[in-house]
Order: sequence, then structure tokens, then C-alpha cells
Amino acid sequence: MPEQPLELLKGTLDVLILKTLQGGAMHGYGVSRRIRETTGEVFRVEEGALYPALRRLEKRGLVEAAWGVTDTGREARFYRLTPAGEAELSSALEGWHRYVEAMGQVLGAASET
Amino acid sequence: MNSRRSHRGGVFPRFDAREDVDREIRAHLDLRAEELEAEGWEPAAAREEARRVFGDEDSVARACRAIAASHQRAVRRGRVMDAIGQDLRFAVRTLFKSPGFALVALVTLSLGIGANTAVFSVVSGVLLRPLPFDDPEELVWLQEIGNHGGTMSVAWPNYTDWRDQSTSFAALAAVNDFNATVLGGDEPVRADGLMVGEDYWKVFPTSPLQGRLTVAADHVPGAPAVVVVSRSFWANQLGGRPLDGQSLEVLGIRVQVVGVVADGAGYPTDTQLWTPAEPLNNSTSRTSHNWSVVGRLAAGVPVGRARDEIDLITKRITALPDEDPDFLATGAAVVPLMDEIVGDLRQPLYLLLGAAVLVLLVACTNLASTLLARGASRSRELAVRASLGAGRARITRQLLTESLLLSVMGGAGGVGLAYLVVVAIRRSAPAFLPRLGEVALSPSVLVFTAAATVLTALLFGLLPALRLTKVEAGEALRAGSRGNAMDGRALVWRFLVGTEVALALVLLVGSGLLVRSFRTLLGEDLGFDAADVAVVSVSLSNLKYPEPEDHGRFYDELLGRVAAVPGAGAVGLISDVPLRDGLANGRLELDGDLDKQAIGAYVVASGGVFEVLDIPLLAGRVFDGRDGPDGEMVAMVSESFADRFWPGEDPVGKQVTGGGMDNFYPVRQESFARVVGVVADIRHRDVGREAYPTVYFPYTQRPYRIQYGASVLVESASGEPTSMAPELRSVLRAADPDIPVRMGSLGAIVASSLGERRFLMFVMGGFSVLALVLATVGIFGVVSYSVGRRRREIGIRVALGAAPESVVRMVVRAAMTMVAGGLVAGLVAALAMTSAMRSFLYEISPTDPLAVGAAVVTLFGAAVFASWLPARSGTRVDPMVTMRSE
Repeated sequence: MPEQPLELLKGTLDVLILKTLQGGAMHGYGVSRRIRETTGEVFRVEEGALYPALRRLEKRGLVEAAWGVTDTGREARFYRLTPAGEAELSSALEGWHRYVEAMGQVLGAASET
Repeated sequence: MNSRRSHRGGVFPRFDAREDVDREIRAHLDLRAEELEAEGWEPAAAREEARRVFGDEDSVARACRAIAASHQRAVRRGRVMDAIGQDLRFAVRTLFKSPGFALVALVTLSLGIGANTAVFSVVSGVLLRPLPFDDPEELVWLQEIGNHGGTMSVAWPNYTDWRDQSTSFAALAAVNDFNATVLGGDEPVRADGLMVGEDYWKVFPTSPLQGRLTVAADHVPGAPAVVVVSRSFWANQLGGRPLDGQSLEVLGIRVQVVGVVADGAGYPTDTQLWTPAEPLNNSTSRTSHNWSVVGRLAAGVPVGRARDEIDLITKRITALPDEDPDFLATGAAVVPLMDEIVGDLRQPLYLLLGAAVLVLLVACTNLASTLLARGASRSRELAVRASLGAGRARITRQLLTESLLLSVMGGAGGVGLAYLVVVAIRRSAPAFLPRLGEVALSPSVLVFTAAATVLTALLFGLLPALRLTKVEAGEALRAGSRGNAMDGRALVWRFLVGTEVALALVLLVGSGLLVRSFRTLLGEDLGFDAADVAVVSVSLSNLKYPEPEDHGRFYDELLGRVAAVPGAGAVGLISDVPLRDGLANGRLELDGDLDKQAIGAYVVASGGVFEVLDIPLLAGRVFDGRDGPDGEMVAMVSESFADRFWPGEDPVGKQVTGGGMDNFYPVRQESFARVVGVVADIRHRDVGREAYPTVYFPYTQRPYRIQYGASVLVESASGEPTSMAPELRSVLRAADPDIPVRMGSLGAIVASSLGERRFLMFVMGGFSVLALVLATVGIFGVVSYSVGRRRREIGIRVALGAAPESVVRMVVRAAMTMVAGGLVAGLVAALAMTSAMRSFLYEISPTDPLAVGAAVVTLFGAAVFASWLPARSGTRVDPMVTMRSE
């Protein structure tokens, strides 16, 4: 698995970003680092691919952005989850859990026979 | 820079998606490289690695930019809507805070916009809407031109020449309208009929709702008489039953109903019956001008070319051997049918529209000055908002939103008022206004109103908005900074007040001229006394009364019965009622010599008419019992007829014929009548037109002139002509139950003949009173504001011993300098504009000193009053109170 990282399912990146931002406002680079760290590099995400996703989420009103300054004194664009983003995230998570549960039951049952 | 602009700055902050995205990517790479360096990478290598893991910078940037830009557009749209909503809510709150101002402004705007909407709905319906026929621009109206240069009706053979020789027309049709008794329907009625030439239905193509239109076979001499009826006539008089050989009696002829067409299927639109002209008419005279001609131009032929062609054909026409060439057409006029119908109304209606626009302008000026004065007291509020970051454009927009809100509410009120006016106009149905059915608040009228509303808001809102936002924030924030009363804005005030005064003056002068003209007209001696005279118009069935003598005998008896009605005074019979019916005029012969000719009007009457109308007898006698059918043929003449044709001679005993006007009647051989009496002149045609030389003949000797109708005039002894109506009705029913009766009073007829002038005068008068009130309120407002700002100064003056009167004088004098400029400007404008009113004025010059002087004095007086009132109340305040409040 390591040499052939998983391609992200369509839409999954959005959920990852929203989940990441649930912890608090963060700039784009921060989001990319956090995803890298928490997924242990399982998913292959070109760092640049994050930005169109962020812009799209912003356009959909799920996140909002403002320019600010990092701890190290650099300027960066900070993203924050909006209430609409929170709602979207929880419904996405619920859908994901049901999906995994159903798949798990089917696949688990199949392996038992 | 972007972030700064998004806080303050223009109406909307500018956003540059390219720069925003590039900056973000740069930030990412910087942070990534920074982190790598912290892990020990060389700076250059760190930067290289950061770029590598980022991926394709360009495609990421492109994707981001596209999304950001579209996002930004959506945000901007939303922000505009939000801003409008916010501005509106704020505007509503502001208006509610000063309900008095809002109410006055709303009433002002409703009146101004309402006046314009109402007048424009008339202009639009009457003048602008195309006629309700197919391809109406092809329809024309043809007339002959006589050697006097004026237009006249068309001789039948001339019409057939035009029809046969011209190429400019798809169709031409002679028409002649009549109003006659129609029998054979559900009840005897008078109906509006039209004799039409063969191609009439080609000029006005239509599909019959029932039966058929008239065809070529109906339009030949000797063809059986047929008639096409309008839908409403069919429904009301024929019970709406399927056509099945029903017949009617029209003009003394039994005619078969062959078809039903929609109401208004042809012109004139109120025609109820259309009957072929050819079987009824065999005139070959080139000088009997009895017909009108409507035409439809061939495709693509301009009116001018058709006119030239018809004019040429007409010039080739020569008189018959026994005809007087003086009465021959010398040319022809061809005009669009629209001009024939509404041509006379263009000027008065556009005059009223102009007046309504002036009223609205006065209203705008008034509101502009009020807003400016109010705005001055709002300057602190505005300064606070400005210092909190609202830009000038933002505040301007807020102020304009307030104006627009007011204007839209005023516009709504105006539409309501206009609706009431339109309903009232349609209900009162003034006789001078054609196409009344098309006067309505149509979509095009509402578009006009909407445009006027927006324009109005800009007119009264823009100047104050720009002025008020110019105030430097810091200056206005300092409490107590009030400046001098007529400070730097003096010029604006002078302009606003001056404009208001000038506009109002133009209106006052205009309506003053109309009032003067109308009074002059009312002062004219009509030559007859219309008071207390009832008019009963009668038309007999020519089947029931086939011979002219039958009509004569009927009226002999009727006059006797009417005279016996309780309350009836003198009684008379006349062929044409003054100021209602036209006056037939033409060539007459004099003194037993057929070559000795005169031109005069021809009226048939009984001797009683002169008593009923109080027309003085100047010489000889009036008609009486001696002048029966078998008596000597007699006539009476008017004073002007006698003066013109027998100057210095005694007209009594002279001889006169009915001339050409008797051509179509079986006149007794000895057609010369002896003049037995001379009566004073009367204004028969129009209150404003000189009397026409007239010959009167007794109805007993020329009953053929009354066989299509006559009017009985009854003087009421009680002074109330309508009170005799029931008795008159029953007398008529007793004489013949089949007579439809049309009853009225001569007073009403005289009043109605002045209807258009009265309407014009009252509407103009109303507009100018409105303008006067608005201007007065405007001056009052400006002076009140000024006095308010000078309260401290006035207080000091009074405290220092100035007499209150002198302070009042000072304030009024200052106000009058503003007014004077407006009066001068208004006077110049009025003199320039009223010359266009010449055609509306009766014997009054457009520069009539009385009208102009009265307007100036009225306006000046109102202005003095409007400035004196606040000046006086300003000096009444205890100076100590005002000075302490500072």
C-alpha cells in the first residue's frame, strides 16, 4: 500500500478539510500539514489540490476566510468553519458512518462464509 | 491595499481574485519552505522541495481564481441586495421619525404624479394609441377645398371621380352620418346611422358576426334597401335573435337587416346602422357638398402623394351648366384619419400635459428645498455616519433611497388619484373628447408613471443628497457650528425658490389668460335668451308620415298641445337648435332675380321661436297664422343679412329664395318668398363666432326641411324647464306613441358648447392653484428654516432694542429678493410660452396685462404672506430663551 497511495474518493477531501477545520481556524498550509500528519500519508494529496477545494468550500459558504498573521509573523489566509460548514460536516460524517457500517456488514459476512 | 479598501472606500470594495490567489499560494510556499529549513534544508533546496510537493502551481492558481471570481460576483450581488434592503429599512425608519414631513411630501408627490398620470392617460388614449382598425396608418380622410380656402364636404360625383380615377387607394368610400328614428325594433329609438359607399367594408375590413356585409349588388341605384347593424343594436333592439328577414324603418324606408358586425367595426365608431348610399342617393350636383370620404391608402403610398393625386383630379372637375362655379371645389385635402378625429385636441391636451409637468417640477423644487433644510438638521447624523466609515457615495445612496421611497409611495398615491380622475372623466363623458373608451391606466401609462416617479426622485433628491454629503465631517460634528443664516448655500436657496416661483408664475399667467378669455366669451351677447327654455327634439316616421305636409300638420297640432301644458309659456319650432345643430348655409337668390345671389344660412322656424328665444323683432312681423301652406310664401331675415345684401334699404317686402338648399325638394314654382320681418342676429354656430347672415322660412311652407327632425322650444313659465318634462312626454306620447323623445334644456346646450373651453380653464386653473400652494409652502419652509437658524441673531437684535416689526421687515425683504428673481424669470418664460396659447384665447392677447398683472400680484402676495408668517413667529420668542438654549 505505501508505494501506491489511495486516490481520494470524490468529495472526501472536502470532508477531510471540514473535519480538520473543526478544531479551529487554520491557514491553508496548516490544513495541508494536519491532513498529512493525521492520515499518516495514506492519502496522496498534492498540497496544491487543497486550495481549489478550500475556495469551493468558501464559495458554498461552508468555510469563511480572512487574511491574518501566523505565529511566526507571516501573513496567511485563515479559514474557519461556518455554521453551515458544521452542519455539512456532521451530515457527511453520519452518511460516512452508515456507509462504512453497511459495507462492513456485507464484507464481514462475506468473509465469514 | 485590498484589505484596506474592503473596509472603507468606494460603494463596493474592489476585489482582485488573481492577486488574492497568488498571495495565498506564495504564503503556502513560504510557510512550507520555512518548515523545511527548520528541519535543516538549505534555503534554495527547501524552496525547491516546497514547490515540488505543491504540484502544478499554475493550474491550481487558475482553478482557484475562477472559483474566487465567481464567488465574488455572487457575494457582490448579495451585498447589493442586502444594501438595498438595509437602505430601505433605514429610509422607512427615517420617514416614520418625521411623519409630518412624510405626509406633506406624499401628498405633494401624489398630486404632482397623479396630475401627470391622469393627463397622460388622456393623451395616450386619445392621441397616441393607434385607431382600433387594421393597419390604421393607412386610413385617411378626404375633403374638398373651397374657393374660400377652407375644407368642405364632398359632392357625390366628385367622390366617384376620385374613386374611379385615382390609383393611390386600396379603397375609397363616401359616408354620410345621420341620426334618425328607427322603427321596427323592440321600441322606437333614435339611432346613429351611416350611409356608406360601396367600398366602405374594404376600408374597414371585418367579418360579420351574423349574416353578411353589404356587397356590390346592394350598392346600385334601385337595389332593395338593406342594413348592417352593430352588435349592441342587434342585442338591444332585435333581441339578439338570429337574423331571419327582420326589417326596420330607417329614414322613412323599410330596410332589411342582412348582417351584424362588432361595435366599432368602422368609423365613426359609434355607428349603429350601416346602409348602402347608392340606392338613396342620385345626386349629380358638383356643388352639393353632402358627403365625407374615408379611404385606405394602397400599400406604401404616402399621404402626400395621395393628396397630390386627388387634388389634381379635383382641379379638373367643372361645374354643371346651371351651377355656380363659386361653389365648386378648387382642390382637395387628404389627411390621416387620426388627424381628423383628434387633430383639434392635440394642442389643448399637450398644453395640459405641459401644465401638469410644471406642477410636478414645482413639487420637486419644493421637496428639494425641504429636504435640504431638513438635511441641515440631519448633518450631525450624517457626519457621525461618515466618521464611522460610510463613504460619501454610501451616504448619497442612502439619501437617494429615501427620496426614491417617498417618490414611489407618492407615485402609488398618484396612480390612485389618476384612477379616480379617469373614472370621473369616463363617467362624465365630455362631448368634446373622442375615443373616451380608450382613456385608461394602460400599461404604457403606468410605464410613463414609473419613469416619472424615478425621474422625480432624482430631481428632488439628487441636489440635496450631493449638497449634504459635501459637509466636512469634522466641521459638522462640532456642536453649535451653525454658520450664518443664509450662508454658502444662499445661492442654492435662491435657485430653488426662484425656480418654484417662476414655474408657478407661468402656470398662473396661463390660467389667468384662459379665465379672462372665458369671461370675455361668457360676456358675449348670444342674441338669444337660453334661460328657462326646454328643448324637445322629435323625428317622425316617414312611412307613417309620407308627405312633407303630413309633418307640417303634425307639428301644427303638437305645438298647440304643448302650449296647453301647464307651466308652458311661449312655444316654437326650429329646424336647427342654436349651438347644438349645425347651420346649413349656401347660395340664395334675391329680389326675383335668379342672377342676384347671396350667401346665407337657412333655418326653418315657427314665429313662436323668436318669442321663446327673446330675439328682438327689428322690423315687420314674425310668422303667424297667415303663413300657412296656401298663403303667400314669406321669409324673415337676420339683421346682418339685411345689412349685407340690402344696405340702406328697407328689407321688408324684398324677395329671397331658399336657393341651392331647396334643390332636392319639391318646391312650389313661385320659390321667391317675400320678407315680412327682420330680427336681431344670434350666435348660432359658436359662442365665440360672429352671427352668420340668416334667412328664416316658416315650417308650414317648407315642411320638407323638417321631415328628418325638428325641435320644439318651450319657455317655462315657472323658470325650471326640466320640471315640464313629464307633461311634455305624455303630450308627445298622445300625439304619436312611436316618437323617440330627446329632451333637454337650452341652457345645458349653451353650457355644453363651452365644455371644452371650460374643461381647459378649470384643469389649468386647478394646476396653477396647486402650483401656487406648493410654491407658497416652499417659501414658507425656506424662510422658517432661515429664521430658525437666525434665531440667535434675531434674539440679540430684539434684546438690543430692535423693533420686532423691523426684524420682520428684514426677513421678508431677504425672502423677497429670492422671490423677485423668480418673478422676473417666470415673467420672461410666461411671455415666451403663452404665445403658444394664442389659439385658445378669445379676444385676449397672450400678454394681456390684466392676466399677467393678476398672476404677479397673487404670487407676490402669497410670497409675502409665506415669509411674514415665520418671520413674525421668530420675533415672538423670548430672546432670553433662545439665547440660553445655544
